Amino acid sequence: MTLVIDNVIKKYPIRQSKSVVNALNGISLNISKGQTLGIVGESGCGKSTLARLIVGLESPTQGAITWRDNVLLRGSKNQWRNHLSPAQLVFQDPYSSLNPRQRIGECIKEVIVAHNLRQKEEIDSRVTELLKVVGMSEDMKNRYPHQLSGGQRQRVSIARALAAEPELLILDEPVSALDVSVRADVMNLLVDLRKEFGLTYLFISHDLSMVRHISDVIAVMYLGRVVELGTWDEVLDNPQHPYTKALIAAIPDHSQVGQMDLTVSLEGEVPSPTNIPLGCAFHVRCPIAVPNCSKMIPQLLPIKSSQSVACSEVVK
Amino acid sequence: MRSLISLQGLSIKTSSDGRSLTSDVNISLIEGEALGIVGESGSGKTLTALSILGLLPRGVEVASGEINFNGENLLSIDPERLRGIRGKEISMVYQDPMTALNPVMTVGNQLLEVLDCHNHDVKDPESHVKQSLIEVGIPDPDRALKSYPHEFSGGMRQRVVIAMSLLLSPKLLIADEPTTALDVTIQRQILSLVSRQRSRRQMSMLWITHDLGVVANLVDRVAVMYAGRIVEVGTTKQIFNSPQHPYTQGLLASLPVASSRSRNRLASIPGVPPKPWLVGQSCSFADRCQFAHKKCRESLPLLDARGTKSVACFYPIASSI
Ligand SMILES: Nc1ncnc2c1ncn2[C@@H]1O[C@H](COP(=O)(O)OP(=O)(O)OP(=O)(O)O)[C@@H](O)[C@H]1O
Ligand SMILES: Nc1ncnc2c1ncn2[C@@H]1O[C@H](COP(=O)(O)OP(=O)(O)OP(=O)(O)O)[C@@H](O)[C@H]1O
Ligand code: SF4
Ligand code: SF4
Ligand SMILES: [Mg+2]
Ligand SMILES: [Mg+2]
Repeated sequence: MTLVIDNVIKKYPIRQSKSVVNALNGISLNISKGQTLGIVGESGCGKSTLARLIVGLESPTQGAITWRDNVLLRGSKNQWRNHLSPAQLVFQDPYSSLNPRQRIGECIKEVIVAHNLRQKEEIDSRVTELLKVVGMSEDMKNRYPHQLSGGQRQRVSIARALAAEPELLILDEPVSALDVSVRADVMNLLVDLRKEFGLTYLFISHDLSMVRHISDVIAVMYLGRVVELGTWDEVLDNPQHPYTKALIAAIPDHSQVGQMDLTVSLEGEVPSPTNIPLGCAFHVRCPIAVPNCSKMIPQLLPIKSSQSVACSEVVK
Repeated sequence: MRSLISLQGLSIKTSSDGRSLTSDVNISLIEGEALGIVGESGSGKTLTALSILGLLPRGVEVASGEINFNGENLLSIDPERLRGIRGKEISMVYQDPMTALNPVMTVGNQLLEVLDCHNHDVKDPESHVKQSLIEVGIPDPDRALKSYPHEFSGGMRQRVVIAMSLLLSPKLLIADEPTTALDVTIQRQILSLVSRQRSRRQMSMLWITHDLGVVANLVDRVAVMYAGRIVEVGTTKQIFNSPQHPYTQGLLASLPVASSRSRNRLASIPGVPPKPWLVGQSCSFADRCQFAHKKCRESLPLLDARGTKSVACFYPIASSI
C-alpha cells in the first residue's frame, strides 16, 4: 500500500453560528502504487476536501493519512510539504490555477526551486524537458497563461505538478473545464504519463465516462462517506448501492439518442452537510429504504473480495 | 409552421475594429421545439444567445441580420418592450450563475421581485416561490429563501437561477451551459423539470452545452458551431448517428462512450481553431481536416439545405443511412 486514508473526518465550523459542515464523515481508502483510484459523487460530497487533505493544504479534524508509513498527523502540513512532496494537486480550473502575470517557464521553474530539486544550471533544461513531457514546445516558456488555450493551460498545470516529482497526482476534475475535443488529448496524456513514470493517481470527476476511462478502482461518495468501492468494471457495470445505481442510470449517453428516460430521477431533497440525516444519509432519497435505515449507519462491507457496499439492504 | 423565433443571417463583430466573431447564423425554432447548440469553445455560442436578448457585452455588436420573435424584430424593437419580453417571454440561464443574482439580496426576495416586476398574478407568491426551489432540488428551501447567493455552492446557485428562469413560464428558455456544474442525478432532475415544462407549456428551448450526452437526450435538433459559423445542423438522431461534417465527426469520436467496455485511446482533433475573422474565403476547418482539398482553401463552403439536414462542407462524409 502506498496511500492509506484511515477514518478521516473533516468538519468546517460555520462562522456566526453553532453548526458545522460535516464535509467528511469517516473515510477510509487505500491506493496502491501505480494504481488509479477514481472518486465520483454528488457535488458537495467532499471530494475536493479529501484532495486538499491529502496534499496537506488542510488537515483532518480526526483520522490519519499515511504515505508509506509516514503518518501525517493533524497540523502536519509543513512536514508533508517539506517531505518528499509525494502528492501534487492539479485543479479543475486551468484559468485560475495559473498566475496570470507569470510566464509559463517561470511558473514551472518556481516549483523546482521551491523543492530544491535541481542545481541552478540544470533548471532551465528541466523546464524544457517537463514541457516536452506534456507535449509542449520550448517556446511556450515565454508565454503568459492568457496566451494559451484551455487545453494548453491544463498541460502547464500538469507540468507544474510533475515538476515537484511527485509519486501521487491528485487530479481534481482535471478535464471538466476543457472543450470536448481537448479533453481527449489531456486524458491520453494522463494515461501516457502514468505509464512512463509509474505515477499513482487519485482522479476526481463528475463525469463517469472519464472515470471509467482511467480508473482501476472506483470509490463512490455520498455526503462525506464512501458508499461503494470496487474495481472499475464492478462498480460501473454491476453497481450494488442504490445511490451508485441511480448515478449510473442518470449518465446521459450520447450513443443512445433520445433513449434516456428523463422522467425517472431520484426523488427527495438532497440533504445538506450541515444537517446530515440520521442513520443511512441516503435514506431520504433511497427507493428501497426500510424503516431501520434511518436508525443505523450502514458500514462499508465486502460483498465480494474486491467490491464493498455500505447498505444494510444489499449486505445482509 | 410559423416559427416562434428565427435568427436570419446574424453576424456579430467587435465594435472597435469590426473583426467578425460570428457570421451568417440562421436558427429557427417553432413553438415547443428544442434546439441544442454545440461546438468548440470560442465558436460564438454565447454571443449568439446574448444577441437574442439584446445583451451583447460592451465592445461587441450585431453587424447584420434579423432576429424575429413572435413577429417582432428584436433588433429594432423599443427597448422598453424588449425589457418586457426579457425574463417574461424569453428567459436565460447564464454560464456563470452569479451574473444573474444580486449578491446583497436574499434569494427569496429576488424570486419575489421577479414575480412583482412582471406583474405576474399568482395567488400565494411565497409558496409559489418556495415550490420553484423544491422543484430544482434545493435542500431546505425555507432556509434557502432567507439566504444570500454567496452562501450557496456553485451548483446550488445554478439551481436557483434555473428556478428563477422558469418562474414566469417563458415561451423560450435559453440555457448556456446550465448543468455543467451539477452532478448527474441533480442534472437529471433539472432536465426532467425543463422537459416537463416544455411539454406542459409548449416552451421552446435553446440549449447550449459541451455535454453531448445531454444534447443527445434532450433536444429535437442540433446545430454545430465552428469558428463563428454553423457548420452542420440536423435532427439529433442524424447528427449523432450519421454526422456529415468532419468536425462533427471528430467531436463525436473524441468522446468515450459511457456504456462502452473498451478503454482505448481517445481520438482527438489535432490543432486549434482559427480566429473567425482571419478565415476569409476558405473552410475554417481546413487546417485540421483530414479530407481537405485545394478547393477547401480557396472558397467558403456554405450550409446547403438537404431536407432537414444541412452541412457546410465540400466533401461531406457519406451518410450511413
Ligand atoms: N472552507 C470551507 N468552509 C466551509 N465549508 C466548506 C469549506 N470547504 C468546503 N466546504 C463544504 O464542504 C462540503 C464538501 O465540499 P467539497 O468542495 O469537498 O465538495 P466536492 O465533492 O468537491 O463538490 P464539487 O463536486 O461541487 O466540487 C460542501 O458542503 C462545501 O460547501
Ligand atoms: N466582449 C468581447 N469583446 C471581444 N471579443 C469577445 C467578447 N466576448 C466574446 N468575444 C469573442 O467572441 C468569440 C465567441 O465567444 P463566445 O463567448 O460566444 O464563445 P462560446 O462558443 O460561447 O465559447 P465557450 O464554449 O468557451 O463558452 C470568442 O473568440 C471570444 O473571444
Ligand atoms: S441502507 Fe437503507 S437507505 Fe441506505 S442505501 Fe441501503 S436501503 Fe437505502
Ligand atoms: S470543406 Fe473541406 S476542409 Fe472543410 S470540412 Fe469539408 S472537407 Fe474538410
Ligand atoms: Mg470539488
Ligand atoms: Mg459560452
